[in-house]
Formats: sequence, structure tokens, C-alpha cells
Amino acid sequence: MAKGEPGSGRSTAGLLSGPLLWLFLFFILPVFLITAYSIGSMHLLPTDTGGVTLSSWKRFLTGDSVYLSLFWKSVRISLTVSIVVVLLAYPIGYFLALCVRKRKYVLLLVIIAPFLTSYLLRVLAWKVILGDRGVINSALYQLHLRTPDHPVEWLIYSQFAVMLVLAYVWIPFVALPIFVALNNLDPSYLEAAGDLGADRWKAFVRVTLPLSMPGVTAAFVFVFVPTIGEFVTPQIVGGSADGSNFLFGNAINARFTQALDWQSGSVMALFLLIVVAVLMTIFGRRISVRNMET
Amino acid sequence: MELASSRGALWLLRIFFILLVVFLYVPLLVLVVFSFNNGDVTFPLQGFTTQWYVRAAENPALVASLQRSAIVATVTSVLSVGLGVMASYALIRRVFRGKGAFSALVFSPLVIPYLVFGIALLVLFKMLDKVMIALTGSYLDVGMHAVIVGHVVVALPYTILTILPLLERLSVSLEEAAHDLGASPWKTFWRVTFPLLMPALVSAFLIAFTLSFDEYAIASFLAGSQVTWPVFLFGQLRVSTNLPEMVAVSSVILVISVGLVVGAEMGRQRSERRVTATAE
Repeated sequence: MAKGEPGSGRSTAGLLSGPLLWLFLFFILPVFLITAYSIGSMHLLPTDTGGVTLSSWKRFLTGDSVYLSLFWKSVRISLTVSIVVVLLAYPIGYFLALCVRKRKYVLLLVIIAPFLTSYLLRVLAWKVILGDRGVINSALYQLHLRTPDHPVEWLIYSQFAVMLVLAYVWIPFVALPIFVALNNLDPSYLEAAGDLGADRWKAFVRVTLPLSMPGVTAAFVFVFVPTIGEFVTPQIVGGSADGSNFLFGNAINARFTQALDWQSGSVMALFLLIVVAVLMTIFGRRISVRNMET
Repeated sequence: MELASSRGALWLLRIFFILLVVFLYVPLLVLVVFSFNNGDVTFPLQGFTTQWYVRAAENPALVASLQRSAIVATVTSVLSVGLGVMASYALIRRVFRGKGAFSALVFSPLVIPYLVFGIALLVLFKMLDKVMIALTGSYLDVGMHAVIVGHVVVALPYTILTILPLLERLSVSLEEAAHDLGASPWKTFWRVTFPLLMPALVSAFLIAFTLSFDEYAIASFLAGSQVTWPVFLFGQLRVSTNLPEMVAVSSVILVISVGLVVGAEMGRQRSERRVTATAE
């Protein structure tokens, strides 16, 4: 850009300074601080003792760390939820993008709208539905299929409940990137496939599906990344006293709020952050955030 | 031949769509129904009442938490829209080194686990307190200001994503014309770009507001004694006797937030069509 046009170097620096300063102070710096904390070079609590050491990392990564196995359990649950959600959302995205002509965007908004309501509220709704005296169980009592002493127990405070609610929460959001990918698909590719003799199934498998893969990848990442750090849902619908349905996020939360062991908490938090960062480097190239606009 | 779907497949997709909509909306409807139920949150329904709404309005702790959330969300929206405009403007209208890195930085809060971010900010504020106590003897502590600081970071990418497309479509020639007529860049922005950008700014504001108003994970670490609405709600979930009140307030928020977001989205699409039409 030539000098003197709207947009000289000085005003560019001015524009950048605000967001950069804010993100440096309140985003990058805090992450550096937990890194420092995880190796014991910070002491904020009376319980923080000792000097710089990698012992917390070592304890977490090696041997019989319960937290590492909890992490893998969380990965399994997040993976299952992400796959189920993508499988459910794909037909919705497909239907809206390729089969609906009129009021496409209104129907899309119908799917997305629940995502824009309170997260806690949606989890709470399931507590009301799945509870021992909730909608499903009391309906069963009314029908005399069960007695109030014997509710269907696995409905709530179970791994099933955690996965169901996580899937419920994320489906609307995930339909969006799949819809966008399919909606941007050039219909002439499909026509060409038809002209070349492909039937519907073949056209789908060979043309539509591969072309929509970036959207599917984006959808997958958009569920997997937030659910792997999830700690709210397990506390509301998974939380029994022994915490057997708790996930890695709950363990991190507990380090900070109950155990006051911020050093190992920082190790686990940073580990989670690194996992997410690695995932984003692998998949990030295939997902252009800017393509997610409708 | 219609290659996207056969007639049979189309029917299946339609039925699936309807089933999914039912699955998505029934839990929300259940909540609204129970907010008018004259009893606790279990079946069978006990008759119609508005007592939970009245009780909620008379619960001082609940009302205070709602007020705090309103303040936090308002300040968050103003700041994140302001920073969002600066960042979008730089990304669209400026050429500078490190644009890719800048873009990666501003969008990365989209994927950071809020749990980790909340903890990291908590450590920052505790650190700040330690330094302040050593230097001045007083300290800041966490509270609404800390929640705002965190919410601005996570709301910023959403405001940028809302502002960017419209800014991209706004013709540069309008700004150049203003410049040629002798307007300073500052004046050009306020008199030309800002009014044209207004619809996107309104929806960015609303998106940031709803995000902040509803945010629990970050706020749970940073609110301290200044409990915001989601933190208050979470605390009450264990006490089943208070559940109907919570359900009542949640129903009100549900209706308002759906209305706001749908309105904002419709406004944005209309204004984008208008801008596209002027550009052509």
C-alpha cells in the first residue's frame, strides 16, 4: 500500500496495539504463568514449596498416574461423543444444504438456536428429564412399569448420561460447518458425475463425501476440543459421590478448587492445552475459520 | 435425475430432521413447562402457578447475580467489539508483517479449553495480588473485573468473525473517496465506515453479550465473592428445593436470548444483502 493512502504504518500499529496488548497480558502471559507454576518456579499458596523441579511432570507422565489414565478415559468418551455427533449432524447438514430449496437458512437457524441458549440450562434440562424422579422415570411409574423405589438408575449419574448430554449440547453447533461445506459444493460436480453414469450412491461416495470432508473435520474438532476439557456436565449429570464418571477436566478443577495443589493442577492444565494445540496444528490447516461464516 | 437424494431418501432425511428438532427442543420445553408447575421438578404436573417467578424476583442473592452478569456482559461486549473492530480493520484493510501470526493469535481463544484459561487467569490475578501486597500492602483480588478480562478474550474472536465479512464487502472506494475529499483516517472511520458497519457491530455486541452472560467455566474461577448468574445457578443445582426458581429464571433468559440472537442474525443477513447490493 502506497504511503499516504488511508492505512499508513503508524495507524496500523495503532490498530494492532489494542488487541495485541490485551491478548498478551490476559492470554499469553497467563499461559506462561501456569507453565512456570507447573515446574515449581512459582509460589502463590502456602502449600507451594520447593524449587524448580520437573517432579510434578514426571509423576503425571510416568508410572501409575491415575490422572493419565483418567485422561485416556476422557479421550475415549470425547471421541465417542464426537463421532456420534458428527454422524447425527451430517444428514442434517446434507438435508439442509442439498435437499431444501426454500427457507434453507430459517431451518438452519432452527437447528442452531438451541446452541445459543444457556449451556447450564440445557444440561439442567436433562437432569430434570433423567433424574430418579424425573420425566422418564415418573412416566414409567405412571405406567406401572417401575415403582418409585426402583427407578431406571443408569439414566442419570452414569457415563451414558454424560455422553448423551454432551452429544445433545454439541449437535446444533456441529451441523453448521458440515452445512457450510456442503452448501459451497458446486452442483455442476454432481451433474458431471451423473452425466458420467454415476448413480446416487456412487456420486455421494465419490464426489459429495470427499468434498465435504473439510467440514466434517472441522465439525469433529469443534466437538472434540471442547469436550475433552469438559468438567461441568459430568458434575451435573455424571456426578455421583465417588466421582466415577468424572473426566480429566474434573480432576484439574479439583486440583485447584479442593486439593489446592496448583502445581500438579498446572501440569494437567498445560498438558491438556498442549494436546489441544497439537490437534489444532494437525487439523487446523484443513479448517479455515473464515469458511465457517454463513 | 436429482442426484442429491432419491424420493425415499428425501423422506428419510425429512423424518430424521424432524426427529432431531424434537430431540433438541423437547428438553427446553420441559424446563419451561416445569417453571409453571405448582410443585417440584417432578412428574406428574401439579397445576399452573407463577409463584416460582415471583419467588425468584424476590430472592436478593439471585437478583444480585443477574445484575452482576448484566454488568459483566455489557462491559465485555463494549470492549470486545471495540477490540474486534481494530483487529478486523487491521486484518482486512492493512498490509503488515506477521498477519498470519496475528490472525492465529486472535482466533486461538476459540479452541482453548475454558477450564484451562480460567485457571491461567486465576494464577495471573493471584500473582498480581502477591506483587501488589509486596509493593503497596493492598490487593485487587478476583471479582467482576477479572471475569470481564477473561470474557473479552474469548468473545473477541466471535466479534471479529461477525465484523470481518461485512467489512470485507464494504467497498474501499468509499473510504478512498472520503480520504480524497480531505477527511483524516479517524474522521473517515467515524463518518463513513462506522455507520455502514453498524449492523455487524450490533450483532457482534449481542453475540458477545450472550456468550458472557452464560459463561460458567471461566467465571467459576474468577468471580470470587461477586458471583455471576451461571455460577450462582450452578451452586443452586445441588439444592433441589431451589430448582423451580432456577428453572423459572432460566426460562425467561431462554426466551430473551433466542429472541435476541434470531433478531441479530436476521438483521445481519439483511444488512449484508444491502451492502452487497450497493457494492454491485
